Amino acid sequence: MPDARMAADVHNKGVFWEVKNGNLAPSDRLRQDRSDSPTPGLVEGTEPGAGQEGAMFVHAQSFEDLTAVSESNTDDNSAEVGDSNLESAQEAALEGGEEESLEAEQEEVGKEEVQSRKKAKEEDVTSETWRSHRKHVFVLSEAGKPIYTRYGTEEALSSIMGVMMLLMSIVEDKKNIIRSIHADGYRVVFLRKSPLILVGVFQTNCSDRELTRELQYIYYQIVSLLTLTQLNHVFQHRQSYDLRRLLAGSEHLTDNLLRLLDRDPGLLLSAVMCLPLASSARDMVSSSLQAAKAKNLVFSILLAGNRLVTLVRKKDQFLHHMDLHLLFNLVGSSSSFRAGEGWTPICLPKFNPAGFFHAHISYLEPASDLCLILVSTDREDFFNLSDCKKRFLERLRRRNAYQSLQEALNMPSYPVSQVGIPELRHFVYKSKSSGLYTSPDLPAPYQGEEELERLMGLYQQLHSCLHNPTRLLRYIYRCADTENLYALVTSGFELYLCFSPLGTKSLAVSAVNKLLKWIRKEEDRLFILSPLTY
Amino acid sequence: MTAMRVDAKVVMLGKESVGKTSLVERYVHRRFLVGPYQNTIGAAFVAKALNVSDKVVTLGIWDTAGSERYEAMSRIYYRGARAAIVCYDLTDSSSFKRARFWVKELQNCEEHCKIYLCGTKSDLIEADRSVRQVDYHDVQDFAEEIGAQHFETSSKTGKNVDEVFQKVADDFSSCALEFMQEEKGVDLEQKKDSYFDNCCHN
Ligand SMILES: Nc1nc2c(ncn2[C@@H]2O[C@H](COP(=O)(O)OP(=O)(O)OP(=O)(O)O)[C@@H](O)[C@H]2O)c(=O)[nH]1
Ligand SMILES: [Mg+2]
Repeated sequence: MPDARMAADVHNKGVFWEVKNGNLAPSDRLRQDRSDSPTPGLVEGTEPGAGQEGAMFVHAQSFEDLTAVSESNTDDNSAEVGDSNLESAQEAALEGGEEESLEAEQEEVGKEEVQSRKKAKEEDVTSETWRSHRKHVFVLSEAGKPIYTRYGTEEALSSIMGVMMLLMSIVEDKKNIIRSIHADGYRVVFLRKSPLILVGVFQTNCSDRELTRELQYIYYQIVSLLTLTQLNHVFQHRQSYDLRRLLAGSEHLTDNLLRLLDRDPGLLLSAVMCLPLASSARDMVSSSLQAAKAKNLVFSILLAGNRLVTLVRKKDQFLHHMDLHLLFNLVGSSSSFRAGEGWTPICLPKFNPAGFFHAHISYLEPASDLCLILVSTDREDFFNLSDCKKRFLERLRRRNAYQSLQEALNMPSYPVSQVGIPELRHFVYKSKSSGLYTSPDLPAPYQGEEELERLMGLYQQLHSCLHNPTRLLRYIYRCADTENLYALVTSGFELYLCFSPLGTKSLAVSAVNKLLKWIRKEEDRLFILSPLTY
Repeated sequence: MTAMRVDAKVVMLGKESVGKTSLVERYVHRRFLVGPYQNTIGAAFVAKALNVSDKVVTLGIWDTAGSERYEAMSRIYYRGARAAIVCYDLTDSSSFKRARFWVKELQNCEEHCKIYLCGTKSDLIEADRSVRQVDYHDVQDFAEEIGAQHFETSSKTGKNVDEVFQKVADDFSSCALEFMQEEKGVDLEQKKDSYFDNCCHN
């Protein structure tokens, strides 16, 4: 009976890989000429943290839906902004929006305190608390059936869903697509991804692009559970299908993803953070994982919480950071994989939305945070992969690498004071060519959930300014009551710095070079410089 | 398929949240986890060795997710299973309907798989008889009709949990023995391992 759906399986198609290679392999860059003295003018591939043998990830910018959202080539153009233009560009940013944005933040913080921490599905959708949530997300079918709401129950929301449908249909009549509505401190953003419609209602002043990106994550989260093939299939069959039947039990994955979007800079930057680890130890782990291969194995990924320890991939196959974040989310939001060895179909939608991979997911030890994900194309591969895991563990133990791994895991990442820049509280540095980022431990003022989200909100606004396709900026300096921020983007990296209010602009500017030097010095601990393939 | 020496494949089936994972947790780890319910994703595999008279039998237990989303994949989990523990929640009559669905599916696709019907959360019934929604005798009749065993268990108290899995292992080894005696010429002592391997991955 289930064979129609099984057809979505990705295994056993000979041509499949070849087609993919053509699309997914990033263009060859000159990665050999790595610069010794890093400057903001570094080209991609030579910045600190750039991999030596090519990227592990596909570049976000090369993907349809990020370009579809009116993204012109921000990166390339911004590199051309000459130094003389910088001052004026930056003043413009300072004039526009700074004051108001800060006020809005204060307000948000106030409201956050009112809402309860845990999701209350039962909450009354006519209540003030329901309305005051900072970020609502709704998913509905094209027939207007509710599929997901972040707060409250879907049933209680059918009238709101009706209004959304109406709005969309009115505008679409005129052969236009409604993208967003701005009113009264709210932004309503629409994303149509047939057969689904996603709507976000945000109290924020981030750009629509940022908000659309969040909706895309939610969309791909759903596709990763079902595949696009199956999604299309059920709605072709019956337009009024209630998709919640198939998504039952997955709501907490979406809830958790929305939380990650508010807290994890990786999702903002399209990048992944590594567990800091001595390069000798990491190499040992990577090569052990490389040796534990199997015929249909495509990716072997070792995670430590939300940080990547290593990733080994089949030659010529690249993982998209978004797919990796979806895997992080899957593992991070469920204790299910602690119950035994997990074996589950999973679609990696940026790799191929049409088919399922099969993932063997297990923790290295019952109480450990180290989680191994082995992704295969063959749904019969469970025992083969289980054997791979065993071989990997044996090898690790034989070389005593397990111990150093466990020790690295128990240590905090690194305090920002190690960098030695006065007044610097926190930073996020992304190497564009490797798709990896690094960030110190959160300092005391940002350790609470709300404060963390506020800081991430500030970074998000800077990100939004730097990537505004109509007003290209290379850097932004922004003063606020509680911190001063400096953000910088070049063709090789993106950097966000957070200083105490005592920091000055000249301090910030001079900090960049110092920080880059420090990162260069530490790069083999903080990044994966030589990713392996089977 | 030789990574783990598993004698008999056992699959847990049933509607979501009936308590399949809790049953396995109780049996394998002797614990009952309280806290928010975490639905299984795909399936989880654990191997557990137990004694049957003087032999050791290793059960390879597949704890499947009850969500309809995985229904299409369920065959990969139950194919070749020697035993299926089909669970339903004693306090939820719709879960018994779902159990009947699984029984039919097994009868159609896995005729050599023995079925064990397992009514879960019996502690809730003991605390308050009025919450029972599935009648003991109805299930007993159904079990006889399909040639299945029938248990009522509580993972919270541990009641009857070991008994289910012990019965599965006992039935497996006595059936294996019977089978071997029929096929004369199989040397029980020497070929035991290879026989069991064939037997569970056919
Ligand atoms: N009182 C009581 N509660 C139980 C018992 N067994 C399970 N539960 C509860 O029922 C809920 C679901 O249990 P699970 O074992 O996760 O259910 P499942 O069948 O594995 O669900 P899926 O993985 O979604 O298919 C949990 O909240 C358990 O605490 C039991 O014997 N007694
Ligand atoms: Mg379960």
